[in-house]
Amino acid sequence: MKTGTEIMGKIRNRHKRRDAFQLLFLILVFFLMALLGTIFSTIPVNNPGLASAVASLQTESGVESPVTAVLLNFRGYDTLLEVMVLLLAVIGVWSLIKAPAPDPETEISPVQMGVVRLLAPVMCLVAAYLVWQGSHLAGGAFQGGAILGAAGVLLLVSELPWLRTVPASVLRFGLVLGPLCFIGTALGCLFLGGELLAYPEGTAGWLILFIETACALSIGLTLALLFAGGRPHENVSRGDIP
Amino acid sequence: MFQADTPAWIIAPVVLPLIAGLFCFLFKRRIFIIALAAALANFFVACFLIYQFLVFGSMRCYIGGWQPPLGITLRADGPALLMLLMTAVTGLAVTLYARGYFSCRIADSERAGRHQRQQRYFWPLWMLLLAGLNGLFLSGDIFNLYVTLELVAISAASLAALSGKPASQRASFRYLLISLLGSLTYLLGVVFLYRTCGVLDLDLLRNLSGNGAGVRAALALLTVGLLLKTALVPLHFWLPPAHANALAPVSVILSALVVKGSFYLLFRFWFELFSPIVTQAGLNFMGALGAVAIIWGAVQAIRQQRLKLMVAYSTVSQLGYLFVAFPLSRAVEGAQVWSIVIFIALTHACAKSAMFMVAGSIYLHLGHDRIRDLAGVRASLPVTVFAYGIAGVSLMGLPPSGAFIAKWMLLSSSLVSGQWWWALVIVAGSLLAMVYVFRVMSRFFVIPEGEPLKKPAALSPLLEWPALILALISLSLGLLAPWILHILSQGTVGLVRVFPGGLS
Repeated sequence: MKTGTEIMGKIRNRHKRRDAFQLLFLILVFFLMALLGTIFSTIPVNNPGLASAVASLQTESGVESPVTAVLLNFRGYDTLLEVMVLLLAVIGVWSLIKAPAPDPETEISPVQMGVVRLLAPVMCLVAAYLVWQGSHLAGGAFQGGAILGAAGVLLLVSELPWLRTVPASVLRFGLVLGPLCFIGTALGCLFLGGELLAYPEGTAGWLILFIETACALSIGLTLALLFAGGRPHENVSRGDIP
Repeated sequence: MFQADTPAWIIAPVVLPLIAGLFCFLFKRRIFIIALAAALANFFVACFLIYQFLVFGSMRCYIGGWQPPLGITLRADGPALLMLLMTAVTGLAVTLYARGYFSCRIADSERAGRHQRQQRYFWPLWMLLLAGLNGLFLSGDIFNLYVTLELVAISAASLAALSGKPASQRASFRYLLISLLGSLTYLLGVVFLYRTCGVLDLDLLRNLSGNGAGVRAALALLTVGLLLKTALVPLHFWLPPAHANALAPVSVILSALVVKGSFYLLFRFWFELFSPIVTQAGLNFMGALGAVAIIWGAVQAIRQQRLKLMVAYSTVSQLGYLFVAFPLSRAVEGAQVWSIVIFIALTHACAKSAMFMVAGSIYLHLGHDRIRDLAGVRASLPVTVFAYGIAGVSLMGLPPSGAFIAKWMLLSSSLVSGQWWWALVIVAGSLLAMVYVFRVMSRFFVIPEGEPLKKPAALSPLLEWPALILALISLSLGLLAPWILHILSQGTVGLVRVFPGGLS
């Protein structure tokens, strides 16, 4: 028979041992970081990277912001796949759990409602502005999408049941919209110009804006749905798959 | 516009499954038709790309028309195309098998809803994983490779969690964390390389990478990141639970394809990008880890009580052979080292998919996969047991499987170069593989006393035949060897030449 104190002592010992192990691990990680930092600082920076190449081709990219030019023109293929990764995150979460059902009893206080009414439209406006601004300054689909996502989260934490009122098929369509527009444009360029994502002469700016707008909507929805934390409750009455 | 020699064909294996994945997610019905169409198209495109490669030589596609260093290049050379074909063939078989598997599960009315949901999410995840893998094999840009690694890692972890059992969720969460750790380590390596060289294109990097500390640090980081994903001993701990607890079609995908992706990158980095700074000591170290993996994985496989875990540990063991090729690379002709790893990878992909399919079918038939209680399965699932036997022959490396050719080349080169200890490990690994394969095989043929002979069970042909066909492919790879060597010998400049003396 073991007494309670003995067991407690054992547990404490185990904790201590783990602490020592963690400390050792931390020290090792610290030294590794120090080593990597030293190596990194000793690398002679005698190459300009790709900045000069970007700058020299800036005029051909159709946008004035170098970041947008790299993201959506020079390395648009990377961004296409990254957008897919975001979509994958939602599919993965949806495959695992249902979204927690909101409590129908909750009453929204008028103050909170007022704040939401004030903020949500402003956030949508800021998001649209950021996407528009992406062509010449810092901004773009990801920044705009983040603001849109924040607006969605604001509605969610205010217990506004927008997730339940929007049909799941519309949510799916919203999620796929950005990637689909992106890949559709890319394929359109392939069939018109012979190269994937090679925007035809003079249309690059508008096509980039189109892709960015669609992607911003999808990214915003993605972030909000990730916050909601699960697949929506689908209507199962018509023989659909739940 | 689209001539046979247009390089733009290279993007088809990425774009087709990507679109199919989007539609599989968007639609509710006929998802299987979309996925099957994409898998078939992917297979035909892979065959076409090989034809194009043989006629017109190695192809390069500059996406968006931007040349490196600015743009991203996709390249189709011998090894990349063979891996692409491996993915396409296995992927087609998995698609068919998954259809049979889910139909069989959904027919069981008790949990039909759950299985329908699993199927609903399986297809988009699998299609996006396929796109990621194809992108990984074809990409010629070190940062784009990181993005494809992410695509593969996230879809693979989601697939592994699909079965919904607590054990599989724990295992796949660990798998996700390990995968992300590997990806981030890889990304840190890319940062070092970019800081040193200022370019991201693999061909340009090969010319620029000198012998500085930055490049060495990058090599170390890239290697550790990819080893985590490839699950080489001692970094293999996450693999058996994640692979064994997943749904059967998912186990096939994870074990046959996903680990090959990161290995392929690792091999390319060591033998192309960093070949000037790789030392014999480093190669020996990788070989030693591989040797430990062969023995340790096989011993663990022998000790397992469940069929799926046994097959998963067998993956740990078989991955070791890929690394034993590292130290012998300098002892062989330039051509051979690629042909060795390609033969091992192709054989293992086909044989291991067949084995996991067999394990899944047996689980569906019996409701368990305890090796002890598998007696008499031969009578009820003859085709499946036949597939198991043939896949087992390939895993052991008996002729005429592709693994036999690879092991033969490994053995002869280790003996010729006087590094006999590798030969010892390879022979021991093959004997141990024989033990774990026959341990299960013998149970299949035991008919318990007093029980009547069971009639063949009515399993869907989609559950039995893909496994058998894959097993037969893995067995006949040895007979196709000249053709595969011919593909490898074309165009991969500086590394691959046909090895002159045949198999002598």
